[in-house]
Amino acid sequence: MHHVAVVRSQVPRGRIVAVDCRQALETAGVTGVFTGADVGLRLYGRRVRDVPVLAVDEVRFVGERVAAVVAESRSVAEKAAATVIVEVEELPSTLDLEKALTPGSPRVHDTPWAYPGAVVSEADPHNLQSRVRHGRPDEVERRLAASRHVVDSVYTFASGHQGYLEPQTCVASVDSDGTVHVWMANKSPYRLRAQLAACLEMPPERIEIHPVAIGGDFGGKGSPMDAPLCIELARRTGRPVKLVQRYDEDLTSANPRHSGRIRVRVGCDGGGRLTAFAADALFDGGAYGGFKPIATVSLHGLADIGSSYRVPAAAVEARIAYTNTVPRGHMRAPGAPEAVFAFESALDELASKAGLNPAEIRRRNLLRTGEANPWGETWVESRGLETLEAALAAYRPLDVDRGLRHGRGIAVYDRPTTTGKTSLRLLPGDEGVVVEVPMPETGTGVHTVVREGLARALGIEPHLVEVRQVSTAALPHDDGVGGSRVTAALSQAVAEAAAAFSRGGSDQPVTVLVEPSDTPHVTAFCVQIAQVAVDPDSGQVRVLEILSAVDVAEVVNPSAHRLQIEGGAAMGYGLACLEDLVMREGRVWAANLGEFRIPSTVDVPVWRTVLVEGARGVGALGVKSVGELGNVPTAAAIAGAVADATGVRARDLPITAEKVYDLLHSEVVA
Amino acid sequence: MKLAFLLNGEAFETEAPGGALLLDLIRGQGLCGTREGCGVGVCGACTVLVDRDPVSSCIFLAGCAQGRQVWTVEGIARREPDLVEAFIEHEGLQCGACTSGQLVMAAALRAKGKDPGEAGTRDFLAGNLCRCTGYQSIVDSVRAALGS
Repeated sequence: MHHVAVVRSQVPRGRIVAVDCRQALETAGVTGVFTGADVGLRLYGRRVRDVPVLAVDEVRFVGERVAAVVAESRSVAEKAAATVIVEVEELPSTLDLEKALTPGSPRVHDTPWAYPGAVVSEADPHNLQSRVRHGRPDEVERRLAASRHVVDSVYTFASGHQGYLEPQTCVASVDSDGTVHVWMANKSPYRLRAQLAACLEMPPERIEIHPVAIGGDFGGKGSPMDAPLCIELARRTGRPVKLVQRYDEDLTSANPRHSGRIRVRVGCDGGGRLTAFAADALFDGGAYGGFKPIATVSLHGLADIGSSYRVPAAAVEARIAYTNTVPRGHMRAPGAPEAVFAFESALDELASKAGLNPAEIRRRNLLRTGEANPWGETWVESRGLETLEAALAAYRPLDVDRGLRHGRGIAVYDRPTTTGKTSLRLLPGDEGVVVEVPMPETGTGVHTVVREGLARALGIEPHLVEVRQVSTAALPHDDGVGGSRVTAALSQAVAEAAAAFSRGGSDQPVTVLVEPSDTPHVTAFCVQIAQVAVDPDSGQVRVLEILSAVDVAEVVNPSAHRLQIEGGAAMGYGLACLEDLVMREGRVWAANLGEFRIPSTVDVPVWRTVLVEGARGVGALGVKSVGELGNVPTAAAIAGAVADATGVRARDLPITAEKVYDLLHSEVVA
Repeated sequence: MKLAFLLNGEAFETEAPGGALLLDLIRGQGLCGTREGCGVGVCGACTVLVDRDPVSSCIFLAGCAQGRQVWTVEGIARREPDLVEAFIEHEGLQCGACTSGQLVMAAALRAKGKDPGEAGTRDFLAGNLCRCTGYQSIVDSVRAALGS
């Protein structure tokens, strides 16, 4: 096995004049040094294919791959990489999100509409990555004009990182007949195989993705990342190669969360009933769009803004721009924590204008069963109100030290339970059964859910079920881990496999492939109440407790379920109070885990969780999704609590002591 | 540079370059339970014991282990299997990337021989980041291992 070190761009945008690899090539232990000129222009992407394997002619962000050194050890590769001299003619760059879509801004790509899978056209602003528009903007304007109270506020978000502790990692090898093997920290092996096949122009059957355990994902490990490069290097050197990103590389050049801003205008009548809202979102997609998987190349949370409420008219426009900064990708419930922070904060501000408290405006407007949400969706039941009441009933105010101000904030989120296509194979084991599954364990308990679900379906003890992840050569398909859909999808597959296995006499292997079918239309609510203590002298916010009330159906494994909520709330807390990659001059400045702070044992508040049981779920196990509930409303709840404590509203995440201090000293305290 | 120390209780000798990091040396022996996370000594994933002190092996020069006792998670799990049981029982792990470091810290805290309480336990673990759990289950696991 040989090791790879990457030479990366030091400028946001430039033309590559020359890459001098001579010294690296002469270094003892170096097998080869490769540039874009060697590999050629090969593009990959999860939807739009715009990411080069190695930069060709032009670099588009600080951190972009320019050359790769292959050597017999990692330290030799890194030392040799440091000797590669990249001569670049720096070009004017687009770094400012607000200017990116204006006519005079430097082009990030010459012809973005020409990339396979692009969702923009030549007529669009030249740095547009994607745009989603829906709703009834004319009707919204008419109704807002007639509303008794209207709030018009802008909310902003720093860029953050998924913060998995295992960095991006890939091993590739190529057989003499050209068959490609990949071992990679990637949560969607079958999709990865298709993405690699498209990039390398080879049939997917000639690519095998092997099973691995993944050290945390949180949305960041769904792209091909360094796999196409490793495959090209393995082909050219005739050896298996391994690339493990150093954590600073991962923070500065992988696929962190989008930064951006959302303007919300929302109105209500004299009774606090919502009349209309419009949301205008502008997000920074960085240099490439290829890290976003959905067909719109957008973030689903933005398009779903306001989904928990009854609103007669709504409109949303979500634009994502190309800039010469690190390409952005998915993070746990992409776009939703930001959309919920913006909408729920605006709702608090509207409540204040209407003379209502935050609980009351939500009580009056939460969807009731049978009502359509602003985007026309109706659910078999809408349990937002009972989830809110359960949270309020469990709430107990905490004491704070003298001199500190106590505050309480409430926020609501709902997320549909989706399924997807998956497969598994059940076969008799030495003792009990063996189940072969297509998806890796990312730490969420996927394999535990399979084991327990199957044990229930077969009526045997869980320890008699052995779960094995197998390679992509072994099963028909899987949509991968994502969208909180794994438990729901597996629920169906497990039931069908158990039934088929039993019918076959329990001694013959069976393979099942399930597709999304007439799944009941189910959404799950999560209401969080945050308590904070704010020091008015310094602006320091101490979050004391996050109380989560969660709308649940059947819970397969109570511990794994609780950890999704607690771990989610911890991530929501980090978004609210800590995490900022600090983009300056197009660079990530918080380039290590000391500078980019994620929550530690002493930062996090107390978690309390209330399960609101009795809902209708999906699939044979009757479940609702949970993985992307707990992290979503937290920032909004904390911002509401800070406003309750201080009278000032923090509209920019993260809510640091400096920002609260500035707000306290620049606004009239209510 | 010639190096000799006790590794997981057994005599160990090797040749290593002067700047070698303890993390690379340990992993080079096939002891891959010790993981590199941040690489700058702040996340705790690579924690090992040198004598009784937890250190970040990603920034600890291997030469500084000369003549001392180094314990990695493999040795600690063998020496104190009830720690592992406590983490399983109290669900003190999810993806596992931080778990080796948490187990080593639990052993280090227990070796001090007194119970610092819940808040003191959190202080002691503050340098061991976990992105999955939200920490309560890890703190519960460590508290259980302390017999609290």
